[in-house]
Amino acid sequence: MTANRQKWRMSRRGFLIGLGATAVTATATFTLGAKIGLTEYRQTLAQTANVDNETPQFGVVQGFWTDPDIWFEITAANKVLFYSPKVEMGQGILTALGQIAADELAVAWADLEIIQVDTSRGMNDWGGTAGSYSVAAMYPLIREAAATLREMLRQEAAIQLKVPIVELVAQDTAVSHTSNPATTIPYGDLIQFADGWEVPTQRPPLKTAVAQQLIGQSLPRTDLLDKILGHATYGYDAHLPNMLYGAIARPPTVQATLRRRDEGNVWAAAGVQAILLEDDLAGVVANTRQQAYAALQQLDLVWDEGKLWQQEEIDTLITVGNGLKIVIQEDGADVDSLLSGDDPDLVSMELRTPLAAHATLEPQAALADVQADKVEIWTSTQAAFRERGMVAQALNRDPGEIVLHPLLLGGGLGRKLHSGAAVEAARLSQAAGKPVYVGWNRTEELRHGFLRPPTHHLLRGKVAKNGRIQAITHDVASSEIILSLSAGLRTGVLGIDAGIYRGATIQYALPNRRVTVYKVKLPVATGPWRGLGLFANNFAVESFIDALAAKAQMDPVAFRLLNLPASELGLRLKKVLQAVADGADWGGALPDNHAHGVALLLDVHTVVAMVAEVSVEESRVRVHKMVAAIDPGKIINPAGVTAQVEGAIMLGLSSFLFEKITVQDGQIRAANFDRYPLLTMKEAPDVSVHLLESGETPYGIGEPPIGPVAAAVSNAIFALTGKRHTQLPLDG
Amino acid sequence: MMKLIINQQTVILEDDSPRPLLWVLRDELGLMGTKFGCGAGICGACTVQVDGEATRACITPITMVEGKQIRTIEGMSTQLADGSWQLHPVQQAFLAEQAPQCGWCMSGQMMTAVSFLEQNPQPTETEIVAAMGNNYCRCGSYVRIKKAVAQASQLLNGGDT
Repeated sequence: MTANRQKWRMSRRGFLIGLGATAVTATATFTLGAKIGLTEYRQTLAQTANVDNETPQFGVVQGFWTDPDIWFEITAANKVLFYSPKVEMGQGILTALGQIAADELAVAWADLEIIQVDTSRGMNDWGGTAGSYSVAAMYPLIREAAATLREMLRQEAAIQLKVPIVELVAQDTAVSHTSNPATTIPYGDLIQFADGWEVPTQRPPLKTAVAQQLIGQSLPRTDLLDKILGHATYGYDAHLPNMLYGAIARPPTVQATLRRRDEGNVWAAAGVQAILLEDDLAGVVANTRQQAYAALQQLDLVWDEGKLWQQEEIDTLITVGNGLKIVIQEDGADVDSLLSGDDPDLVSMELRTPLAAHATLEPQAALADVQADKVEIWTSTQAAFRERGMVAQALNRDPGEIVLHPLLLGGGLGRKLHSGAAVEAARLSQAAGKPVYVGWNRTEELRHGFLRPPTHHLLRGKVAKNGRIQAITHDVASSEIILSLSAGLRTGVLGIDAGIYRGATIQYALPNRRVTVYKVKLPVATGPWRGLGLFANNFAVESFIDALAAKAQMDPVAFRLLNLPASELGLRLKKVLQAVADGADWGGALPDNHAHGVALLLDVHTVVAMVAEVSVEESRVRVHKMVAAIDPGKIINPAGVTAQVEGAIMLGLSSFLFEKITVQDGQIRAANFDRYPLLTMKEAPDVSVHLLESGETPYGIGEPPIGPVAAAVSNAIFALTGKRHTQLPLDG
Repeated sequence: MMKLIINQQTVILEDDSPRPLLWVLRDELGLMGTKFGCGAGICGACTVQVDGEATRACITPITMVEGKQIRTIEGMSTQLADGSWQLHPVQQAFLAEQAPQCGWCMSGQMMTAVSFLEQNPQPTETEIVAAMGNNYCRCGSYVRIKKAVAQASQLLNGGDT
């Protein structure tokens, strides 16, 4: 290792490792330097993660991600600080990434402190925390950075102990001599020599799967004690002693624009400190939250309301055949000949899902301190870098002058990929010349963010006498999901939004298929919601597969097993299906008036199967139990995966049973939870989750399990009643 | 001027105009553990105890709670000499079950559970669901919350689960 010392110096900003607690503050002023000499293999890895350094990419990372210096600091007290570019919104990501880091760096779990990084450290994670991507994307990068640092520590220990490096082992935040365990040097002692360290050019050896000690363990979440104590600081809790409160005048309709804006009597209102009256935004800054909201009423604002949209018009817009069309999956020459005409063997289905809200219980919030030489933002965001970019644009400032601190999120669900609160707080702070806090209320949350777009699905298919599917077409219409986030994101195919067709393709083995997507941009703002199109598309596709099974007079599980491909992926799908059937005792005895339904899903390489046990009494549907089997590749924290599946089931069930946003006279009707009720413990089923692990690559976990919930429940209702629900929500 | 008793400490407010207890706790007194969710008493995120009753702080004006015993999540634990925390049995159970995901609703869940278990120390599962059934958890931790409340009831009754 010493032979190649010259190429990869870590000297561009001193050497933060070893500076300990002071470094935490010091890093706030550093910006990552110019590109440094990456060695060949490191370039390859960087490019894998980073298709184009100049263009922000959704779901990929930018920066020098294998550089240990960017991830870690070691203090003289032998604590290891680990900086996470991904944010905690309940999914347990800090714990999972910490496990990966501590395992490869050979740090005792108690010695690791996990820090949600701010934007000043240079971890330019443009994709943000989304897309079930965090562990999959970070796993190879963290391991390589950690292993590099671990080898540097062993190297230094070899020098200090004057023994060959092969005789030294890194374990529990220290390097020890293999034949004399008493000879141990803590990392915190080794870093006092860090000044002369250089990063080796050779790729460090990574721990083998059997040598991993923390990965695969259900370690308790590191963020929960503070949450239990009530001490955790979320974006909505951001606070500075001299801060003021801001409130924004919200448009009366979904398309309203400000025609005229005047101060009116606002200065007569109590506590008013500043106002903002611009073409696109009017707001008030006051001493208290209540004063700020009350003062809004005193502004003299005239709105152009635009067209007063009604829900039926939105439904009509979102109809297969309307808008931009693209075929995203096509196999076989006989799709049209097999599925045309009124052949009695044809099966067809039409389904709709509604507009839906994220309804994270923590609304959007940000605190901004805009000063002449520096801007600081504290906020609840899934995309710190994009949010910082939006603030820079709004203030016409260099992004480098802005430090954005992402705090804990009280739920994300995609909504906080584009919060908006940071820009509002920043513009009000600029107007007031003081720190300003903006915390949305529930009405703003339901009416003035963005929504999960509605969908319309048409499916046609044919199954042979032997139970083999011969052909399927799936046409899906929806509105923007990912494209709405940023025009600069290259996420769509020819202008079609990839979010719409997530989960829309047909994974079964069949000779003829065609999946077609139609996109219309709605007058209502739409965007990403946990799983994007997954919830609606899997509901449609797996309801339809169930109908084909019924047509073939086959058991729904047996029908799926018969029609899955013999590929490796097909085998994984069969395995989770078999596991969930076993776990639910599929085909076994059930109480009177109960039935099972099943659904299956592939998403981000993760495969999930679910069985719902449902009863119907006096047309009231009750979901008693959900059994899930999931194979997300390699599992970092089994308890974390289980919790994600449990939560996704509840969210999916809430959406299936209750959730629907409607537009009336140009405005979103729901102003609070009275018109947008969520699932409660009263409707919550028992859940059992079966984890199947495969291979050494972790895939995604946050979104896939939202997929099969609706179809599993709906298919159970069909099994019980012979009636198929094709419009969500059930109570709608 | 108005006197509030919060976590057994007397707090004097200069401004006695009627305003929601929630914002007084959070914005004026810095007790950020009590959360805002809906402002309409529906979701339960802001639940605190007032004279032992679970109370939605977002729709409770301070004028209604003057002189009464107000308990918030911050009042449920005690810091020990070594810096560690002595948790209320409900907190112990929620931690043991790893009930929180995002955690935003959890202060309200725990304060609801504390009040409920004080009135019904040995509840059935049906009673737990009825008592906890008006607190939203958007992350969907309901299975764990239910287990945690049952476990807390055992802890409070001297069990060592």
